[in-house]
Amino acid sequence: MATALAWIVLVVPLVSGIVLTGWPSEPPHVVTRVLGVGSILVSFILSVAIFVGLLTNAADDRSFTSSAFEWISLGGVDVDLSILVDPLSVMMMLIITGVGFLIHLYSVEYMDHDRDYRRFFACMNLFVFAMLLLVLAANFFFLIVGWAFVGLASYLLIGFWYQRPSAVAAAKKAFVINVIGDVGLVLGAFLILRTLGTLDYGEAFARAPEMGAQSGTALAICLLLFVGAAAKSAQVPLHTWLPDAMEGPTPVSALIHAATMVTAGVYLIVRCNAFFDLSWLAGDIVAFVGAITLLLAATVALQQVDIKRVLAWSTVSQVGYMVMAVGLGAYASGMFMLMAHAFYKAALFLAAGIIIHALNDEQSLDRMGGLRKYLRVAFFGMGAGCLAIAGIPGFAGFFAKDDVLASALTYGGFGVFCWVVGVVGAFLTALYMFRMLFRAFFGPEPAGGYDPRPHPSHWWMAVPVVILGILSIVGGWLQAPFGWREVDGWLSPVVGTGAEVVVPEHTAEIITMIVSVTAAVAGIALAWWLFGADPERRIRLAKMAAGPRRVMNDAWEFDRAYDDVFVEPSRDLANVMSTSVEPAGPQGIISGTAALMRGASRVVSASQSGMVRAYAFWMVLGISLAGIVIALVVAGAS
Amino acid sequence: MNVPIGAYLAVSLGLLVLGLIGVMRRRNPLLLLLSVELMLNAGNVALIGFSRQWDDPAGQVFALVVMVVAAAEVVIGLGLTVSIFRTRTNLDVDELSSMRG
Repeated sequence: MATALAWIVLVVPLVSGIVLTGWPSEPPHVVTRVLGVGSILVSFILSVAIFVGLLTNAADDRSFTSSAFEWISLGGVDVDLSILVDPLSVMMMLIITGVGFLIHLYSVEYMDHDRDYRRFFACMNLFVFAMLLLVLAANFFFLIVGWAFVGLASYLLIGFWYQRPSAVAAAKKAFVINVIGDVGLVLGAFLILRTLGTLDYGEAFARAPEMGAQSGTALAICLLLFVGAAAKSAQVPLHTWLPDAMEGPTPVSALIHAATMVTAGVYLIVRCNAFFDLSWLAGDIVAFVGAITLLLAATVALQQVDIKRVLAWSTVSQVGYMVMAVGLGAYASGMFMLMAHAFYKAALFLAAGIIIHALNDEQSLDRMGGLRKYLRVAFFGMGAGCLAIAGIPGFAGFFAKDDVLASALTYGGFGVFCWVVGVVGAFLTALYMFRMLFRAFFGPEPAGGYDPRPHPSHWWMAVPVVILGILSIVGGWLQAPFGWREVDGWLSPVVGTGAEVVVPEHTAEIITMIVSVTAAVAGIALAWWLFGADPERRIRLAKMAAGPRRVMNDAWEFDRAYDDVFVEPSRDLANVMSTSVEPAGPQGIISGTAALMRGASRVVSASQSGMVRAYAFWMVLGISLAGIVIALVVAGAS
Repeated sequence: MNVPIGAYLAVSLGLLVLGLIGVMRRRNPLLLLLSVELMLNAGNVALIGFSRQWDDPAGQVFALVVMVVAAAEVVIGLGLTVSIFRTRTNLDVDELSSMRG
């Protein structure tokens, strides 16, 4: 039953996307809306039905596999087109279709004036299908298929406004870096196939312990899978595509580059927990990368002037928390944060979209200020999102982030380092988020005021923001310190309860709560002092720290380093090849052959003189010679 | 009267050589066509000679076929010559070399 519904959940967005694409002309907007948004709503309702159905089952009876047909059967390896419905995939389905539906609803108005209305919804539906395939796949083969489709949808949507060269460049960059990740993932799958002889999740995870704990093979598999995860989830050093991906429309940034796709790496690590449990070193490397990412991205976010880029770097930082958590073995905490982050980051992005819409595509914080008078819905959404992401008690981010940090502290040793980084990150998070809030919604209006007056949004855009704002407030109560641990309980059939799985202790929870709330409040207070109370102060202070500001503004020079190390040498090599090697080598052979043929034909064509009498002469000569030869042969024979 | 085969062949060879020299030497297309006719009829004389030698009418039939073909060829050749003369006024095959390769 559950699997039959899951097939429908998977197929409906695909069918809708195909119908929209195949519609002979631009369909009426109402058709696009019904198909594009309705399909996701159907998927969401069915996902809820599956969830309710699983809840009624016993905890150890919530995992179902369903195979449509055999896709490949070769040399003892069977790959079926099959899906796996278990607590982890259902949780991801609910997030994808739930948040996805709200964002589709929001897009109805946001994209209304775009001439490519149909293309937008077709691509968004394709994305939802690809993401569902990624989480529902029951083997590594279809995981990779979904993984690649997600990358394609992301590419199409970042480059949605293909008339802008910057959007096309950003789309290409995202695609290239994602393919680097795909290579890692595919190699990881090959190694799994070679070592365990299967690509099927159930069999592979069951037989994983055969590799032996702390074995080199397990480490290699984990690190290869993590290359894929790091590219998709924008972890250092493969993070540079995500801020540029903000060239896409705002709903795309909200759905793909904040709430769902960038968390695919976290999902992958949780799904492969059987491998990561075998190698503490792989887990620690993953956690280290996450910790570095969260700190680095938070410092960059402090400097951004583009409102969407603040949110993009914040996403990189928040995903860093999740990666850190799952690296340390706190799988449920990481998934809990993934869910909470989907709520509050979607709310933040959609609220930012309302601002951008109201100000006629203005994204710079320098030309915002005092907006709370005009845009109450956006103020609510962004306020709730900021309080949540900063970790103010009662909001979703408080429960989720503290869960992650308390798990790190419980892990001990290396985890303490992660905890310290996380707390510093929490302080920076509060600082940069409230910087954005204060600069956009408080303070004076930009010089000259707004012209025209910012217009509030209609209910298509307002309703999703309000719902996501409310979810950012209440969504965290699923798992509370000292209280109940619903996410842990729900996911325990998938991640197990072994020694490697970290669950926070109460002492760690108390210490974390006190320290992180202090850090968050200090961050907000500093943000108020710097950006809220006196708008001139930041300008005076900025002059004092020009050097560090420049480095952070360039995002720690990653792009420049990649240019110097990869792009420029490749271009130089290509130049040498095209100016010296090619003319002499391949081009020389081709031109030489052509010149030879031309010369030979010139000699032969001289005989075509056009002189009929000459032709007759040659003909007579030829016939005579032939006659003589025949006569000689006949004479010789007789 | 029994004419020996050698006489037929001698006449035939003489006609053929005359035709060949005419084709190679003459510049007037009318005379060129005439020379071609000479060579064809050289062939006809040889065919009839062999036909009598072997007492087989096939040679004579074949000579008739050659005559028909020659008539058709002359019709086309003269037509071409007339139309060339209309456009170019002089008739020298050496100057009709625009098909030079």
